[in-house]
Amino acid sequence: MSVVIRVHPFLRHLTGGQELVEVDGHTTGECLENLEKRFPGIRQEIRDEKGQLRGYCEILLNSESTCNRDLSTPVKDGDVIHILFIVTGG
Amino acid sequence: MLTNNDLVRYQRQILYAGFGKEGQERLKRSHVVVAGLGGLGCSAALYLTCAGIGRVTLVDCDCVELSNLNRQVLHYEENIGERKPFSAAQKLARLNSTIEVIPLCKKITQHNAREIIRGANVIIDAMDNLPTRFVLNEACIAEEIPLIHGGVHGLLGEVTTILPRRTPCLACIFPELPQQQGEFPVFGVTPALVGALQATEAIKLLAGFGHLLAGKMLYFDGETMEFRLCDLVRNPNCQVCRTRKV
Repeated sequence: MSVVIRVHPFLRHLTGGQELVEVDGHTTGECLENLEKRFPGIRQEIRDEKGQLRGYCEILLNSESTCNRDLSTPVKDGDVIHILFIVTGG
Repeated sequence: MLTNNDLVRYQRQILYAGFGKEGQERLKRSHVVVAGLGGLGCSAALYLTCAGIGRVTLVDCDCVELSNLNRQVLHYEENIGERKPFSAAQKLARLNSTIEVIPLCKKITQHNAREIIRGANVIIDAMDNLPTRFVLNEACIAEEIPLIHGGVHGLLGEVTTILPRRTPCLACIFPELPQQQGEFPVFGVTPALVGALQATEAIKLLAGFGHLLAGKMLYFDGETMEFRLCDLVRNPNCQVCRTRKV
């Protein structure tokens, strides 16, 4: 499946400023892994040492929360994944 | 009881279906604590004051600096060096002399948070650091007071309304804290918008109408002008909202 990942502004320094990245995968987790392979610095920003999604990240599939930290949500061609982060400034 | 002046001052919002005089009276009887008087707090406090919240407490321990003035609209050049709660309270009192504005120059800590918020109807989370946001979250769960969370960074913003033990709390939503950064980029328009959204949530909650961002996070990206509304999930093992005894 070919999906587009919308890279959060916090991560764009790791993608050379690229906002939209097309990747393959059958689940949200596979798609993120393929993104991480292309842009290695991303993994440590969004996953902990056990490979789990960090607690301050949120993954949206087609603008809806996946509510699923094991990243097993299936994807289909044309889907869009968003990576979001808590913003803490006041 | 609304006065004749109240009926004139608030006539345009009293006209709103589902709000009316009864909604205005509820606002007049309400007490809101604005925690933090930076960009978010200035914006939220301004619209809460305009709306006629009967008592607004302003809490911050910092003084006004020149670098605050691109976004903290209740502080002016002549206030540089003054305590933020006093600077903000002066403007709000001039805007609406019929409400009570209480400046409180205190740092919110684990030891005083519950005392500061006790008895209030709603707390606005307008803090500029994560540890204090989580202290406030825990205090609100303990005191069973709704907390309206807002955060900004650059042109990004987020808002959610936390109803203790009914919706996910901050610790459910963010089980891990990112490393605290130093200064972060921000345009004044971002906290202006997010703070106004927080005030909107407070007004609806206090007056009892409309739909709240309860169990939902509203994300805003000013660069692309996109709003996203996402469902939040309560953590059944949350150390803050599951285990705490009242």
